[in-house]
Formats: sequence, C-alpha cells, structure tokens
Amino acid sequence: MASALRPSHLPEMDLQCPTNLGDVFRHISNGAQLLAGGTDILLQASVRGEPNKLVWTGGIESMKEFDADSDFIKVGASVPLSTMIKSNAFRDGAPAVADGAQSVGSLQLRNQATMVGNVCTASPAADTVPGLLIHNCVVATIDKENNKREIALKDFLTGPGKTNLGEGELVTCLSFSRLGKNQMSAYQRFTQREALDLAFASVAARLEFEEDGQTLMTVNLALGAVGPTAIDASAAADILKGHPISEGRLDICADAASQLCSPISDHRASAGYRRQLIRALVGDVVRQAATRYGNKK
Amino acid sequence: MTVVNTIRVNGVDHEIPANWQAKRLLDYLRTELKLVGVKEGCGEGDCGACTVLVDGEPMCSCLLLSGVVGGREVTTIEGLPREYLDKFSSACETHGGVQCGFCTGGVAVMSSWMKNGGTETGVEPVSKLLEGNICRCGGYQQLTNAIADIN
Repeated sequence: MASALRPSHLPEMDLQCPTNLGDVFRHISNGAQLLAGGTDILLQASVRGEPNKLVWTGGIESMKEFDADSDFIKVGASVPLSTMIKSNAFRDGAPAVADGAQSVGSLQLRNQATMVGNVCTASPAADTVPGLLIHNCVVATIDKENNKREIALKDFLTGPGKTNLGEGELVTCLSFSRLGKNQMSAYQRFTQREALDLAFASVAARLEFEEDGQTLMTVNLALGAVGPTAIDASAAADILKGHPISEGRLDICADAASQLCSPISDHRASAGYRRQLIRALVGDVVRQAATRYGNKK
Repeated sequence: MTVVNTIRVNGVDHEIPANWQAKRLLDYLRTELKLVGVKEGCGEGDCGACTVLVDGEPMCSCLLLSGVVGGREVTTIEGLPREYLDKFSSACETHGGVQCGFCTGGVAVMSSWMKNGGTETGVEPVSKLLEGNICRCGGYQQLTNAIADIN
C-alpha cells in the first residue's frame, strides 16, 4: 500500500551499536562516523545525504561516566547535557559551563545531546565552549592502538568544524576544573529568541576575589561566535585585576575584549554588531558573576 | 556485538525489524506502529511536534534512530492515561490552548512529563519547560495557562 506519510529525509544508513571500544574502532576504519546524541550529525545527514555509516557510542559503558564531585569534573562522551544540568554539584562547581549547557537547543534536545558532541562539532557558537575554556577544560582521546592523549580545549579546537582529532581517534571524556575558593563564573549569550537559537555572540567569565571579597585577583574571559573558534580574552581583563569592580574599568575591559575578537558578518548578525554585543556582554557577565559570588557568600 | 532491538512502546514490546534500525524513531512509530499522534513538523529537532518520552524523558523522535532506542521504553501521546488527556483537553478548551492542533500532541506529552514532576533544575516556570515546543498559531500564553491549570 502506498503510504501518504512524508518519507524520512535521512539517506539509507548503516547503524552499528557496539558495546566495546574495539568494535567502535573497527567500524570507524570501515568509514563509519561517530554518533553520540545525534542532534547535529543526523541533521547533517538529512541535509547533505551523508554520512551514511554511523557507529553509536551510547552502548560503551566507560563513556557513560559522569563525576561532578571531584576537583576536576569529568564527563564521558555519552552523557546527555540534561544529566549534567540536573546535578547540583555540576551547577555549583562550574556555573559558566552549566549556563552554556542550559542554553543549548531545547529541553528535548538536551536530553539527547552530549557535551562532548557540542565540543567535537566545533561550532564557533557552541554554547558550552566559552565556559569550558575558562574552566581549564582538557579533552581526553584514545585511538585504536590504545594511545591516549590529553589536549587542552584551546588547542583541540582549530577552526569552524575543525578539531585536531587524528584519524581513527575519538574523544572519551572532558574534564574541567571546579570553582576554587573565592571564585565564581557565568556565561551569557545574545540570541534573537531564548531557546532553539544560536548565539550571535557569547561571553564567559571567571572571577577570583581576594579575601576581602571585593578586590579581583584574577579574571578569565572567553568569547564565543566572534572568531573561527572561541577566543581566550583574559588579556583584556588585566585592567580589572587588583581593584574592586568599577564601571570605568569594566568599560575599558569590554573595549579591549571587543578589539580581540574577529567576527564575521552573516545572516545572523554583522561583524560590527557582534563587536558591540561583546562590549555589552562582557560587562553583563562580569557583573552577573560578581552578583552570584555576593549571593553565595 | 549485540544489537538490542526490542523497544517497549506504550507498554507493549516490539521487535524493531533490521531494516528499521537506521531509520528515525518518528517514522517507525508512525509508519510501522501507526501511532500518528506523533507529528513531524520541522524534522530538525526544533519544533517539538514529534516529542515522545524515552525512559520517561522528553526527546525529539525525528532525531533518534530506532536502533539507538533499543531496550528502552517509549511513550507517545497514545500511551498517556485517558484521565490525563481529559484534563489536558479540558484545560486547553478553557484557556483557548488549541488552534490548528499540530503542536498539541507534543505539548500534551511534554505537559504530562511536567505534571509527573519533570524538571531540569527544579525551579523553571512552565514557559521555560515548554521552550522546545513551537506553536505557530501563537498560542504560547494560552498553552502555558492551560498547563498551569492542570492539577
């Protein structure tokens, strides 16, 4: 019987669901691409008609690890964002990363999408990346010869959609630092609508205060969607160090940050507009982190 | 290598045939199981019309491959308790929550999840939890009011 139902946009595909890493590598060498949450790659397959060979990593027990209680928060490649967001230890330990995770897509998508997937898709606008950068994220990889690498996230991301992942190498987990004493972080982005949208520009900041709770000791800044990869803009925040937060210094910092970025003009926003957004967001995010710190104390 | 290819849909176990493993759960539910309350809106994970519960959590069935859901439990709008659907439809009637009705199935599934205590951080308002369900008739306020009114 002919079906009146709309056919799937997906190409004819081969799906493998192995339960051990050896089989994953075997399928990769046969040309299969990794499938984690699938919210990026299935969309890509629908639009481009490829990849049409997928190997799902959700069956690998070791990739389901999520430890939010240690000094370094560790998240495996198969852990959905929502699992992380539901953890108080994660939200308290890495607020900027949690802000980013909660900005991704929609509630439904966060039940499927993974943080490792967000990083490996390597979109310049990835919501979790600026937060991960200022929380000193390290990417752990493995290849079929069991060689393991640990790469700083800032070195891992090399361009839009590009990482320095070698052929046949895969990411097993991310680890990133919890906030230390007298520290606080935050992430904000600008979008046209709150959910289901990609950042025009985004900023993450981590502040460390002196014992007095007022004077800033260190400030880390990262900017998203305004360059080929997220940008470490901590240098722009030097002016804030050794002083309490003041509007004057914040303005200088925001100007410097907007000079550090290299945005493009596209259908979402012009380069000039993105620079202006960075200028506004830097102040907002630093103030938000400071307010959070005040509320926590 | 084992492929777990049984899924429980609305309380009934189904063997997913091999030729359906690499196809969308959405198509499997609609075409094979005739559960046409699951709608395809955008097919890109944005609109939420295809929302189903997988092991009790809302997901977009257009971005899930059937094989990946093996061994798990899926609930569609057809599997929601009659009593809940009656409450949902009368709340929608009271507040004007339905116009064309295309988003309604996904919203019903989402609202049942909320009413069963579903939350991410424990403090979100209904409007935030409904962020993944697009209504092009513009009925967000009516839908939010309707869901808030269900007890």
